[in-house]
Amino acid sequence: MTSSAQLRGVEGQHHPMLSFHGLTKQYPDGVKALDEVTFSVPRGEFCVILGPSGAGKSTLLKTLNGLAEPSSGKVVFDGEEVSRRTLRRVQKRVATVHQQFNLVERLNVAQNVLSGAIADATLLQVMLQWYPHSFRQKACDLVARVGLEPVHLARRMGELSGGQQQRVGIARAFILDPDVILADEPVASLDPATSRDVLTLLHDAARERGTTVLCSLHQVDMGLSFADRVIAMRRGRIVFDGHPDAITDAELAQIYEGSDEDRRLAA
Amino acid sequence: METSIGPIPRPRGAKADIGALGAPYTWRTLVVLIAIAALLFVSARRVEVDKFLSLTGEAISAQFGFKESSQVGRGLSRVAQDLFPITLAYRTDVSRVADLDDARLPWLAYIETVQHREYRMNPTTSQLEETVSEKRVLVEPLGYLTLTIGKMIETIEIALWATILAVLLSLPLAYLGAANYTPSKAIYALSRGTVSLLRAIPELISALFLVLAFGFGPVAGFLALGLHGAGFLGKFYAEDIEAADKKPQDALRALGASKVRVLRLAVLPQVMPSYIAYTLYILDRNVRMATVIGLVGAGGIGQELKGRYDLFEYGNVATILVVIFVTVFVLDQISARLRARLIA
Repeated sequence: MTSSAQLRGVEGQHHPMLSFHGLTKQYPDGVKALDEVTFSVPRGEFCVILGPSGAGKSTLLKTLNGLAEPSSGKVVFDGEEVSRRTLRRVQKRVATVHQQFNLVERLNVAQNVLSGAIADATLLQVMLQWYPHSFRQKACDLVARVGLEPVHLARRMGELSGGQQQRVGIARAFILDPDVILADEPVASLDPATSRDVLTLLHDAARERGTTVLCSLHQVDMGLSFADRVIAMRRGRIVFDGHPDAITDAELAQIYEGSDEDRRLAA
Repeated sequence: METSIGPIPRPRGAKADIGALGAPYTWRTLVVLIAIAALLFVSARRVEVDKFLSLTGEAISAQFGFKESSQVGRGLSRVAQDLFPITLAYRTDVSRVADLDDARLPWLAYIETVQHREYRMNPTTSQLEETVSEKRVLVEPLGYLTLTIGKMIETIEIALWATILAVLLSLPLAYLGAANYTPSKAIYALSRGTVSLLRAIPELISALFLVLAFGFGPVAGFLALGLHGAGFLGKFYAEDIEAADKKPQDALRALGASKVRVLRLAVLPQVMPSYIAYTLYILDRNVRMATVIGLVGAGGIGQELKGRYDLFEYGNVATILVVIFVTVFVLDQISARLRARLIA
């Protein structure tokens, strides 16, 4: 399969898909969510960010899709610095899968998947929710790809289980063939078995399309088994960056020391 | 690293004593209660609550035979006598109807011949003389009812257009007056101010002035109701936009969508059920208010009511009241069903 993401990848091999340079985010109350974070992500990588709650994982992802603005440092997307001026352009090529799914409760599955094309359709198409045939066809294909049945297309979100809702969230993320998918704790509110299925789906769908994924997780075992690369964070700093096999139990214990997850790991 | 979980530590020096809770009531509570009672007492005299109590007592004692009659009872029975029988028919002198063809009368209508007695002073004898003349009257048995229903439909139309105007005005006001979507603080304040102002002016008062501007008739009525309704809807619509779930809005915003698009896809579906409920309420209210607003000449059935009332034609007034009651009742039922169906 040759997607536009892959084509773009072939043209511009010289720079990474994403890079963060000395990224710092300080909230007005003085808390530093990110502290001089620097790393880059090559094209097509499935990069998992581990760390206890409050480590800055979400904030890091939000600096790319514009939901948070860094206090200093810069984010470079496909060779272009993310700024107020370029944000819209970047946002159209970056999709997000959210922890709470963030779907519109009163719209049905098809409408929610199509809402992913909100910035690409014309204003009239959005206002009337009357999308062109190509989008609708793609939405149907995606719904099938994420493992939902055609009968689900007309169901509202409230009628679906959490796992099904996150599948819709993933379908919505893929509808514009983004270059990067940010997954912010995509399985945090799902049970372990469903989590594994949903994460497998996200991983495989991204692999098929050559999409780069930046995924924050707090389930360490799952993170290690899916990741091409693991970045571990603690108190806004990167404390480990490398292949999942390279991380030791001692390092993991240190990352989660004193946190809630630490107790859960110990149990 | 904390490992042991001991008993919950109690802050040193603090004693869990019931006295620390404080007394449930203090002397200040008593003073406030006395002050409120005094104010209510003064106010009761001003709105004649005492008169209400004494007259009602009189009416009840008259009812049980302790008194001859009561002011309230007399008033009510006079009203009842005046209102009945209600006037359904329309009677017109045939001589007043231009080119009436006896063979082709309107539907259900018939011609009645009545004897018309007239007392007239004879100028020569200076005596009152009775003259009896035959008069032909065209009777349309349901004529007045038909006219009243026509007026009622006009009233409902006023209410409908008032609601349309209110929705059209309040949608942009709500967008500009929702703190999270307004383009600027100044526009927000301006929009909220406008909405408050519209809500603050009672329909009857604005209708009074609009009648001066636009003349008698429905135009003043539907404008007055529409402006007032926009005041309500603008506030409620805006508050619902502000209270809508932020998560889907964040998701679509992160995709680079403009405010209007996010509003359409992430907010509108959420607020739609309550928007429908508010709008139906305003429509409901507009129908009731549209019957009243005619009292100041702003069209609809109220104008007819006022005219008949001023001419002491209480039979016609009764017809109007019955039609209003039936209409409001039926519309209540319809809007309840509509609400249940639309908000699913």
